[in-house]
Amino acid sequence: MMKPPLQLPLSSHTIGPFFPPHFFSEADNDLTRVSRDAAPTRSGTPYILRGTVMKEGRIPVPNAILEFWQADSSGRFRHPLDPAHAEADPDFLGWGRDWTDLEGCYSFRSVLPKGYAEIGTVRAPHANLRVMGAGLMNPVCTTVFFPDFALENAKDPVLNAVPPELRQRLVVAERAPENGVRVFSFDILLRGSAEDETPFFQD
Amino acid sequence: MSDWQPSNHFRPWPEGVEPSVPIEGYPNTWTFTPQRAAFPRPLTRTEATGPTELWRKLPCGDNNLAVLRPGRMALGQFMRISGRVLGEDSRPIPGAIVELWQANAAGRYAHSHDGSKAPVDPDFLGHGRVFSDEEGRYTFFTIKPGAYPVPVKDAWWRPPHVHFSVVGPSSLSRLVTQMYFPGDPLNEWDRILQSIHSSVARARLVARQIHPSEAGDTFLAYHFDIVLRGALATPEA
Ligand SMILES: [Fe+3]
Repeated sequence: MMKPPLQLPLSSHTIGPFFPPHFFSEADNDLTRVSRDAAPTRSGTPYILRGTVMKEGRIPVPNAILEFWQADSSGRFRHPLDPAHAEADPDFLGWGRDWTDLEGCYSFRSVLPKGYAEIGTVRAPHANLRVMGAGLMNPVCTTVFFPDFALENAKDPVLNAVPPELRQRLVVAERAPENGVRVFSFDILLRGSAEDETPFFQD
Repeated sequence: MSDWQPSNHFRPWPEGVEPSVPIEGYPNTWTFTPQRAAFPRPLTRTEATGPTELWRKLPCGDNNLAVLRPGRMALGQFMRISGRVLGEDSRPIPGAIVELWQANAAGRYAHSHDGSKAPVDPDFLGHGRVFSDEEGRYTFFTIKPGAYPVPVKDAWWRPPHVHFSVVGPSSLSRLVTQMYFPGDPLNEWDRILQSIHSSVARARLVARQIHPSEAGDTFLAYHFDIVLRGALATPEA
């Protein structure tokens, strides 16, 4: 059997300053709804993640685009590459998009993910975050972890891929709840000193 | 699927395909680009999966940018852009979200951040969103965008180009890029296009013009295949 020849993937470019605001709707940053008018999932613990995106000099970046991706409250993805996808929460999307306001702030609403086991490794509960913006020719990708799961975090292969002194940077900080919903914060510094800059992963 | 491993499906970016940053004359690339090299990470299910049926969340179907409503036509040269969304193994990717946005024929965006002096065209918004069909195909009807200057010291010009944002089947296949037009002299001087060092990779970002005998007399026609990272088949080592 001949394998099909591989072709080059297209190169990445900056999203630029003019990504159309018309592409956003208010519900896009709510992962708990599969569509704009769907009811939110009833499985899992809801949370809100908030933060500020900053460039060099800790200057806030307005008009940055962020995308969020995480497993459901049972650690499953509704995607054919997850062996347990048939049992994934049908009312949970797992994907959201937001853009930063004039102060550089973003927010997402979701439910706490569960970790999962795969090929000799166990992932702690986590969410992947991608940031795009004018001046970022490549998107930056990072992963956030939760303070509730210190034991799981200590064994996570992705968190362990960054040096020990930086690992705490990828654990979100808990803030005061809003209307009974847990609130976490995670600021993103695109460019800064070695101890300040957010750790990013190859994609 | 028991022997399934993400690393069998996603090879690292080939040499020269990713843009080289920061870019001289593009000040933002100096203040936004991280100083530290990105950490390599093991690929797991989270990176290999992505949203399915995203059209339920993001309404699709706006593929006519040239005629907003009957009798209101955008100024400029009508064109059709069509092609397929493919994996690295050339297999079609159905259900990918394809978002397109561009300047009008005068080189101006319908966006509050565009401070250019070029005229706004009230009959051209300049954006659309579709999802690829069963064979991975997509089509947009629009107008050819104009070139525009980059407002920095020692200004330079962006060649006519169309922005694409594609949400494919995996987080790793997420792509934001730009399509260029064949034969435009500005392409060779564009600092963004030229930040791609591989000439083969640059050529992949230039659309192919379809012969007028095939395109007909209504619009210029261009073909642009969008190849995303990832392959269903196991790549050669
Ligand atoms: Fe542009």
